[in-house]
Amino acid sequence: MSVAAANSNSANTAEPEVDPASILHSVLHAAHLLPAQGPITAFVHHNTLHAFEDLEFDTAVRKGGKVFGCHPYLPEKQYREMLVTGRIRTKDIEAVLHDQLGDRGDDLLGFLGTRFNLYRDILNHHLHDGPTVDLRWVIGDTNALNRFREDAPSEIKEQFLNDTRQWVMRDLRGQSGADDLEKLDFPVARLFKMFDERCIETWSNKTWESFVLHLLWQICEEGACQATKSQSGKSDPTRAHGPVDDPIRQRDWLLELTGVDPDELVHETLIPFCAAFLDQGFTSWQLVDREKGFLKSFASVYGQGFELSEPWRRGLAIELSRITAEDESAIESITQSLDELGIGAERLDAFISSSLLALRGFAGMLWQMETRGDRVSHGMPEGTLVEFLAVRLLLDRFAARYVAKNSLSYRGELKQIPRWAEEQLERKNGRDSKPGLRNAFRVFELAQLRGWKPRILSRLKPFEWKNLLSDLEQFSGIERRQIYHLAFERKYRNETLDAVCVHSMRTRQRDLRTSSLANKPKTDFQILCCIDEREESFRRHLEEISPNFQTFGAAGFFAIPMYYRGAADAHFTPLCPVVIQPDHYVREEVVYSLKQHETKRKRARQTIGTVTHRVHIGSRTLTGGWLGTALLGSLATIPLVTRILFPRLTSQFRGLMGGFVKPPEVTHLHLERLPSERPGPTKEQLGFTVQEMAVSVERLLRDIGSTGNFARVFFICGHGSASLNNPHEAAHDCGACAGGRGGPNARAFSQMANDPRVRQLVAANGITIPEDTIFVGCYHNTCDDSITYYDLDQIPLTHRTEFETAVQALDEARKRDAHERCRRFESAPLDLSFDEALKHVEGRAEDLSQVRPEYGHATNALCFVGRRDWNRGMFLDRRAFLQSYDPIQDDAACSILERILQAVIPVCAGINLEYYFSFVDPVGYGCGTKLPHNITSLIGVMNGAGSDLRPGLPWQMVEIHEPVRLLFVIETTAAAMQKIIAKNAGIERLCNGNWVQLAILDAATSTVMLYKRGQFIPYVPETDELASSETSVDWYRGWRDHLKFASIGKEFAN
Amino acid sequence: MDLELFYRIAGITTVASPLVLLALLGIPCLVARPPSEKSITRLIYGSVVIGLSTAVAILVAMLISGSRHVPIDLGDWISLPEEHFDFHLKFVFDRLSVPFVILTYLLCGTIGAFTSRYLHREPGYVRFYVAYALFMLGMVCATLAGTIEVLFFGWELVGLSSALLIAFFHERRNPVRNGFMAWCVYRIADAAFLIAAVLMHHLTGAGDFEVLMGQGSWPEGVASITQTQALWIGLLLVVAAAGKSGLVPFSGWLPRAMEGPTSSSAIFYGALSVHLGAYLLLRISPILELSIWLSGTVVTLGLLTAVYATLAGRVQADIKTALAFASLTQVGIIVVEIGLGLRYIALIHILGHAAVRTLQLLRAPTLLHDYHVLENALGGHLPESQIWLWKILPQSSKRWFYLFALERGFLDELLNRIFVRPFVACFRLFDSLERKWTNLLSGDTHVESDAVALHDEIIEELKY
Repeated sequence: MSVAAANSNSANTAEPEVDPASILHSVLHAAHLLPAQGPITAFVHHNTLHAFEDLEFDTAVRKGGKVFGCHPYLPEKQYREMLVTGRIRTKDIEAVLHDQLGDRGDDLLGFLGTRFNLYRDILNHHLHDGPTVDLRWVIGDTNALNRFREDAPSEIKEQFLNDTRQWVMRDLRGQSGADDLEKLDFPVARLFKMFDERCIETWSNKTWESFVLHLLWQICEEGACQATKSQSGKSDPTRAHGPVDDPIRQRDWLLELTGVDPDELVHETLIPFCAAFLDQGFTSWQLVDREKGFLKSFASVYGQGFELSEPWRRGLAIELSRITAEDESAIESITQSLDELGIGAERLDAFISSSLLALRGFAGMLWQMETRGDRVSHGMPEGTLVEFLAVRLLLDRFAARYVAKNSLSYRGELKQIPRWAEEQLERKNGRDSKPGLRNAFRVFELAQLRGWKPRILSRLKPFEWKNLLSDLEQFSGIERRQIYHLAFERKYRNETLDAVCVHSMRTRQRDLRTSSLANKPKTDFQILCCIDEREESFRRHLEEISPNFQTFGAAGFFAIPMYYRGAADAHFTPLCPVVIQPDHYVREEVVYSLKQHETKRKRARQTIGTVTHRVHIGSRTLTGGWLGTALLGSLATIPLVTRILFPRLTSQFRGLMGGFVKPPEVTHLHLERLPSERPGPTKEQLGFTVQEMAVSVERLLRDIGSTGNFARVFFICGHGSASLNNPHEAAHDCGACAGGRGGPNARAFSQMANDPRVRQLVAANGITIPEDTIFVGCYHNTCDDSITYYDLDQIPLTHRTEFETAVQALDEARKRDAHERCRRFESAPLDLSFDEALKHVEGRAEDLSQVRPEYGHATNALCFVGRRDWNRGMFLDRRAFLQSYDPIQDDAACSILERILQAVIPVCAGINLEYYFSFVDPVGYGCGTKLPHNITSLIGVMNGAGSDLRPGLPWQMVEIHEPVRLLFVIETTAAAMQKIIAKNAGIERLCNGNWVQLAILDAATSTVMLYKRGQFIPYVPETDELASSETSVDWYRGWRDHLKFASIGKEFAN
Repeated sequence: MDLELFYRIAGITTVASPLVLLALLGIPCLVARPPSEKSITRLIYGSVVIGLSTAVAILVAMLISGSRHVPIDLGDWISLPEEHFDFHLKFVFDRLSVPFVILTYLLCGTIGAFTSRYLHREPGYVRFYVAYALFMLGMVCATLAGTIEVLFFGWELVGLSSALLIAFFHERRNPVRNGFMAWCVYRIADAAFLIAAVLMHHLTGAGDFEVLMGQGSWPEGVASITQTQALWIGLLLVVAAAGKSGLVPFSGWLPRAMEGPTSSSAIFYGALSVHLGAYLLLRISPILELSIWLSGTVVTLGLLTAVYATLAGRVQADIKTALAFASLTQVGIIVVEIGLGLRYIALIHILGHAAVRTLQLLRAPTLLHDYHVLENALGGHLPESQIWLWKILPQSSKRWFYLFALERGFLDELLNRIFVRPFVACFRLFDSLERKWTNLLSGDTHVESDAVALHDEIIEELKY
């Protein structure tokens, strides 16, 4: 705690009273900070620090780090490792330092050289950092004081040793030296004694080295000590603090003082109750009086006195009965708690935030369910969060009182705890006896690297020491990590931009060559995939296999926002980005001729479902469980053993069995609505009008710039992912479908685009789709790399051969896609064949024990918006979102680009930033390892038996990620982009706040401009070289880690 | 081949297989050469396949030859004639132990295979498997034990590995705390067990079950001690079984034990470890028969546990705790069956229950997927599964039952009052007396451990 905070605490009794309105306001403010993740069943990626999105990135991560107690950047150690492996280069560090320091870099810091040089040396060498106990060990038990650092330049070392040796012999030994040595008198004498001065003339070089280092350390320690003394009274920023940075709740003080956490008591009660309150139908007994709201329900359950209730809750029942009897509202209860805890208006915001954040997973979920209750079957009533706070504060009071009394024998008022605790702490404050030790050691290490000789250091005055230390302190851990991080991002950014320049140049040159020969590969097929970076490899392989395939990318809801319900689905699910609220409803229906058949099967499914449900519930009950386990239990060994040892076979068998009750394959979408009806979920209201269809079709075709040259077969490919035993399954689904599966959108789009009436309307607006072009919808499962095609019976006879040829290519492409994915899975051998790779990923999807069915969006780092021409054949390592856009077809105001970016920038940035934070702090921002996860209330996961709800991504999903901010490369002009940024607040916030990196490309000249501090600055490529390879396989074969860029294709290989 | 020799070789192999596994996994770790994931998996498969096939071979041989009781005697390892003590190493293959040891191998093998992928790339991979090997050795020893000492040895290993695996994620506070809680309850159970073993030695001069239960093979043995003796020994062993199987009032640790990786929760608290108490009762069932009071106690305990667990399980909103209570419900019923003398039914019940619960726990993370499939099959939200009793209860008793269930029957607090607080208070008293005494002697008020900082030093650079 800082002294300033302590002062404000002691003044707390004088704070003004709080009024109900300001409490509500504070709760709203705090709710903003809570995790915004909704139920895990529909996983929507979003910026973890959305609450701070209006700040600049660096400021925001630091502030977020402080508020949530999380890492802003990776730990320094990891950056240092990257420095060793070359993932961060010295020249990146220098460039970033120049950029960040600006003129300050040239400041001369006394004899230490310029600030730039000092900082560079600190960053380039592995300097020790850690708690004081660590340091004591390093000093006492390692060779730190005996041998020079190995990375010290040898000439500096020689000079250092010789100079000091001479100085020692000349001035120090006889004790008759210059007067500036007085203060060193004692330590030097002790050193001489330790090394046996009598035979100083026969000391070996090693002895001298050790002696010199000991001397240096003595001087540094003494100097740092002097400096700290001279600034006593002021708060020391590097002083170690207790578990809580800025104590405000009674709990913080008690934890600091006793090591007992009152929150542990409170949460033991609060967590099961919150889980029961949030439950979406898992428990068989509903929470009593749940419909009356959180507070009433809590009062009703815990208002009953029970002889055996835990001692800290003694008196709670009486208090709760009083609340019930007086019908006290949540706000009244909060006011009373605040009064008792001594919180006035001044610290209200901070106090309420801190109290709500203490159990932020549950609080956040309650808030989500309160505000977006439409997404689940049991929404929460209005005011739930306030009531939660009321209960929480009530419990906090009891727990604090109990801990204070039991561990400290404190019986005074609760509101006096802070002041009292402060006195206690001051009295026993013997902990941080030597705060300067770490500083001293840093100087000690730097002196060896930069040749600051003991002779000079020993002459420094206390104020000079103070300046030196404060210069070092200014470059604290966070500052260093920021620089490292920028350097880390810079390397990848420069490599990307270099590769883009070179590759686009190469493709241009090739096109020049081939167009003169007039043997340009003609386009037989086209396919539109999702923008998703997982489709990048799929598209690349497809283009490699069959050069006559043209591929596009667009947000995977294909401009058709809708609520969709499949033939065997129970509910409508929204399939479009979260920001859009769909108006239209679409159902899949079994074709009329199979209706009766389906009715029978549906009944069978219902019967099986009912039985399964009964068994599911029954196996946990007394009698049902007895029947199930005693009589039939042994049969469970069969699925137990087969599912685990032979997952793929078992799933095939299960699929075979399930096939008998599945709805018939032949279905169609109920897609058309009469213009007279309004859209809605009833039978007549389902679907779109022809007019609306034409708008959607035209919009998408214009977005991707496909307005002419249609091939005879045009695939529209949605995607999703299915895996077993994975609570985070939905996080692998299509981001543009709000964690849904995009197959139906692809199907709907194809059906619309195939409609002659729609084509007519579209043609009237200038896009002529030839009569012999057909659209085929399909669905790519990114987990097992299967592709399902829709409405095959609609394919005319004339197109069947071509369709089959295309499917052959697609089949080969998905195999190779699986193969490329396998290189990332450590459990897949590197020498798999394509077929084996496909089998491997199929097995993963069905394996109960597999915690990494796929890696999802991990490693995402780029987003290209532009024509495929300049990046076709570029190896992007599944790291780039690819959006098709043709600047030539856009109007002068770039309105097409604008509407594309309105969706693409926030959605892709959201995905990227969620991965960033979950990787940078997997436990704080992410949800840690999956292994102990425990599904709770059907809406989230806990860690083990009773933790807070854990939002964020699990470690197994992000472990191969590189936390770089997404780099957009957009094919447009600076002026157009500036205008779009200025017009759209959302884009402006992300671009100007540096939440994303932005570059624009002029494909005609292959020049790139980089967006920096509101300006587009020409980018000068570092190199004009780029590796090339004949096929992707040749490039990625045998390698697990991230790969560099390359041009792929025969025409580039040389 | 000589049947006796075959039994001896096969029997020793069955027991030695996990022992060798433990050595092969553990010793390289001690010399800082932890084996790779692949070689661990191979070792596990090898060990399980060998153990399982010899156990099955013994079963076949027993069925063919018609023998129902095959002792494997490895002699006295410690003998103190003047103290009337000898540590007799002996394993028994009979109708009880053979199915149990086969189940152990089957489930351990499945879990071993499951975990090899589930824990892939986890930093604690080797640690998990060392504890797992310890557990398997413990289970095999305990099930095949022919003397009470051997049973105790296996019992201890199971307890140790269990606590270690609950606290598997030791960087968090909760797992360690809950692992420690399980450990403490096990200690109570062990104390009772140990006293019972000593008593047995006093009464019969040996720890051999054959001497105690008479010559008849399980389950037809007739105990050779008096009714009162049986009551006392039996009660102690019931306490031991209650601690191990989480029977009332020791149930609190079981739901808290769901802290480790899913697969270890499955094998320990769904399948094997939780049934070990019941197994002990089955083993000593001839004693239970002697005293009506004893079997009455067992039946009551089982019934209380079953009713308690089914009540508490109804309000748990997370899948693993719900399954823990479901498990406990069936263990309660199994104990009732044992108390009633329905030994074969109890045995079959254990086998079936272990398999079902393991599968359910392993599939726990797929709950959302399953619910989605079910909803689709039923074409709407799942029906509420409230039982009739809940519907007809008046509001006030509903409230009471709800609180009782949500607070898990207040059993933790009960234990705290009976055991923990008096125990802690007692030792605090000793501590303060000691301080007074040492302070007086040294003329100082300093105790070194007081100076240890309460919190780790947190440095701004490393983490805010």
